[in-house]
Amino acid sequence: MARSTETRTRSGAQHGAGAARREPPRTRPIEGTDRRPLPAGKVILVAVLAIAIGALLNANGLRKTAQIQSAGWQRDLALALTQPLADLSHALYLDRPRQWLKEALGRGADDRIVRSITLPAPGGATGPGGGPSRVPRPQAKPVFSPAKPLRVWIAGDSLVVVPGQSLLQLVARNRVMKPAGEIDGRVATGLTRPDVFDWFDHVRAQMRTLRPTAVVVSFGANDGHNYMTGLPAGVSIGTLGSPSWTREYARRVGGFMDLVIQRGGYLFWIGAPIARSPTQSRSFATIDRIVRREADKRTRAYFIDTASLLSPGGSFEEYLPNAQGELIRVRAADGVHFAPAGGDRVAAKVLESFRQAFDLTSWQRRATPRPAAEQPARSIG
Amino acid sequence: MLFPTSTFTIFFLIVLPLSWLLMSRLKRWRIFMLAASYVFYAWWDWHFIFLLGASTIVNQVLGVAIHREDRQRRRKALLLLAVAFNLGLLGYFKYYDFFVTSAQNALTRLGLEVSPSIASITLPVGISFFTFQALSYVIDIYRRTFEPVSFGKFAVYLSFFPHLVAGPIVRASEFLPQLETRRDPRRVDAGRAFMLILSGLFLKVVVANYLATHIVDDVFGSPEVHSSLEVLVSIYAYAVQIFADFCGYTNMAIGLALLLGFVFPQNFNAPYTATSLQDFWRRWHMTLSRWLRDYLYIPLGGNRKGPSRTYVNLMLVMLLGGLWHGAAWTFVVWGGIHGAGLAVERLVSQWRYRHGRADPPDTRGRRIVKRLVVFHVVCLAWVFFRADSFGKAWDMLGRLVADWSAPSPLVTAGVLVAVAFGIGVQYVPGRVLGSLISGFSRLSPVAQAAVLGVALMVTNAMGPQGVAPFIYYQF
Repeated sequence: MARSTETRTRSGAQHGAGAARREPPRTRPIEGTDRRPLPAGKVILVAVLAIAIGALLNANGLRKTAQIQSAGWQRDLALALTQPLADLSHALYLDRPRQWLKEALGRGADDRIVRSITLPAPGGATGPGGGPSRVPRPQAKPVFSPAKPLRVWIAGDSLVVVPGQSLLQLVARNRVMKPAGEIDGRVATGLTRPDVFDWFDHVRAQMRTLRPTAVVVSFGANDGHNYMTGLPAGVSIGTLGSPSWTREYARRVGGFMDLVIQRGGYLFWIGAPIARSPTQSRSFATIDRIVRREADKRTRAYFIDTASLLSPGGSFEEYLPNAQGELIRVRAADGVHFAPAGGDRVAAKVLESFRQAFDLTSWQRRATPRPAAEQPARSIG
Repeated sequence: MLFPTSTFTIFFLIVLPLSWLLMSRLKRWRIFMLAASYVFYAWWDWHFIFLLGASTIVNQVLGVAIHREDRQRRRKALLLLAVAFNLGLLGYFKYYDFFVTSAQNALTRLGLEVSPSIASITLPVGISFFTFQALSYVIDIYRRTFEPVSFGKFAVYLSFFPHLVAGPIVRASEFLPQLETRRDPRRVDAGRAFMLILSGLFLKVVVANYLATHIVDDVFGSPEVHSSLEVLVSIYAYAVQIFADFCGYTNMAIGLALLLGFVFPQNFNAPYTATSLQDFWRRWHMTLSRWLRDYLYIPLGGNRKGPSRTYVNLMLVMLLGGLWHGAAWTFVVWGGIHGAGLAVERLVSQWRYRHGRADPPDTRGRRIVKRLVVFHVVCLAWVFFRADSFGKAWDMLGRLVADWSAPSPLVTAGVLVAVAFGIGVQYVPGRVLGSLISGFSRLSPVAQAAVLGVALMVTNAMGPQGVAPFIYYQF
C-alpha cells in the first residue's frame, strides 16, 4: 500500500518536473506568491553567514553566556571560542551597536563579568574566628504600626518566588507591613557564581534604595556544586562540603547577612527544602547546615527550615494533607520548587519569625478602639 | 533543547546541511532525521525516548492491524484499543495525580478516609502533542481516509523535531505525503522561513519574556499588593505574553521545517482581531481547534443531533480542550468560559434565524465593539488559565474594582508599548507582511544574511539573559 502511494507520488513528481523544465525553477516564484526561492546550498550559506554576523555583533553577550555556564568542558570550550570572538568584534568596532542599544535600554552593565566580590571585613559583624555577633542584641523588639510599617524586601534565586508571592499576599492583608518593591527573584543565581549575578553588590544597592527592615531571601539551590567564582587571590576550594568549600561558602553567607544587618536590616533566610533527587537533597542539606550556623551567630538573622516543614517524614513529599485532611500539592512537578500551597506554608513560617523579631501588634492596643467595620478585615499582624 | 539557544543553533547548523545532503536517498534521510529528532528529545530527559518509541511502535502496529482488518467490529475494537492506549498514556503521565487527589479529596469531604498512592510522575515534554498526532494517524486509517505508511516514515512523522514538543499539531495526512518524495533542493521557501524564525524569536525572547518579567509574574503571583490598574494591564499583558510565546514558538517551528523543505499548517492568524469566539477559535491554535473539531466534536455528533446535543457537544469539547492544557480545574474553567461563550453565540444566531431576523449590518463601529467584547471575554478566560488557583483568579478579578487610586509602578511605558505592539501587530494587513517577506526573499543571500545578523543582535540585546521555557512546553 505504501509502495503504491510512493509510486503514484513519484510519477506525479516526474510530471511536475516536466512542467518545471519549462521555467527555470530557481527564479520561478513560490507558487501563489512573489517570493523568490533559494537553493538549499544558499540557504545554508545565509544561515551560517547570518549567525556569524550575529555572533560578531553579539560577541560580548556570547562571552557572558559562556562565562556563566556550569563548570565543565562545555564552558571551557565556549570560553575558548568566545574570547577571541569578543576581541575581534572589539577590534572591528562591531561590539559598539550592542553596547549602545543596551545603554539606551538602561542595561549597559548586562555584559560586564564580575571577577571578584566585596564582603564586609571579617569580624565586622561576626566575632573573630566566627565568634558571636558584634551587632548589639536589640533590647526590645522594634515596633511597627500602620503609621510606621515594616518594609519587607524579598529576593533570591527561583526558590524564593512562590513563597515570596504568598508572603506578599499576607503583607497586603496586614496594615503594619509594606512591600519594598517587587519580588527580586533571579533564576539560576546564587552566592557561588557572582559572574552569573553579583548578589553582594546588588544587596548593597537595594538596601540603600529600598531601605527594607525585613529582608527575606533564599539562596543555595544553585550553589550545590564544586565550583565558585570570585575567590580571593590565592584561595582555592575543594569539593562541595569539603572544609575549604564550607569555609568559603560560610564566608559568603555570613558576608551577605552582614551586608543586610549592617544597614539596619533583619535577615530571614528560607532554607532549601528536601528535593526529589537524593543527590540534590544532600547538597541542599549541606548548604542549609552552613546557613543555619551563620544565622545562629547573628541576632538579626533567622533561618526558616523548609525541609522539616514540607517533609515531615524526612523524605520528599509532593502532596501533604491540609487542615481538612484533603491532599494538597505543596511542591512543583520538578521536585525542587514550591507549589503555591507549599509557598503559603513557608510564608506563614516567615511571618512567625517576623513576630519573633518585631512588635507588630502593640499599636493595636495603643490605638483608640474603632467600630468593627473599620478594623482591617483579615489582619493577622 | 530550546529553540532560542546556542545549543539548538549548533544542532540545527549540523542537521540542516546533512538533511539536504541525504535528501536524495530518502531511506537514509529518514534514519538520519529519526536519530536527530531522538537526540533533540533526549536532551531533556533521555528516559522518555523509550516512551516516544513505545508510542510509535504500538500506534503503528495497531494502525496496520486496523487497515488489514475487514470485519467492522474488530476494526472498531482495534481502534478503541489504540484510543485507550494513547489516552491511557496521557492519563497516566499527565492526569494520574490530578484524578487521584481529586477523588481522594471528594471522598474526604464525604467523610471517607482513604490513603491513595500518589505517583509523583514527571510529565514528559510534548506528550500531549505527539499523542494527538498518533491518534489522528490511527483514526484516519480507521476512517479509510489514509493508508498506513512504513514504520520508518511513521516514526519520523511522530518525532520530527520541529513540531515534537509544542506543535503545531501536524496531521498524518498533511505530513506523511511530504515524506513520499524528496524535497526540491532548488526551491526552498527561505524568505518566509527566515522571517518566521526571526518574528518568532522576537515575539518570544523580547515581547513574551519582557511582559512576563516586568508585570505578569509579579501581579498574578500576588494580586493583592497591586493596584487595579496594574491588575488590568497585567491581564492584557498576559493575553499578549501567551500569544507572543506560543505564536513565537510555532512560527519558529514552521520556519525551521520550511528550511528543511517541509510545510506545516498555520497555527495562528491574528487571534485578537476575532469578532466572535467562533472566529477566535479559527485563529488561535488552529491546529488544535481543527483536531478537536474533526476527532471529537464531529464524532460526538457535532450539530447533527439537535440543538440541545449541539450545546452539550460544544461544552464538552471546550471542557476537554481546557483539560488537555493541564491537570487543573482552572484549565477546565477556562474551557468552560469559552464553551459557554460559543454556546451563547450559537443561541443568539439560532434565535435570529428562527425569528427571521437578519444579521445586523457589518459596520466598522460594530466590528470594533465585537472585537472589544471578544477580546475581553478571552482575557477573562486567560485569568483562570494563568492563575495557579481559583483563589488567585478571584483575587485578580476582585482587585479590578478594588483600588484605582493606588500608585501603579509596574505600568511603565515599556509594558504599554509591548502590549500595544503585541496587539497592534495582529492588525497589520497580511499583504503588508507578504510584501515585506517577498522583498526580503529578493535580496541577495549576503544581504539577507546581513539583515538577519543585525536582527539577531537586536533581539538578543533587547531580550533578558537566559530564556524562559515556552508556556506550551508544560502542556
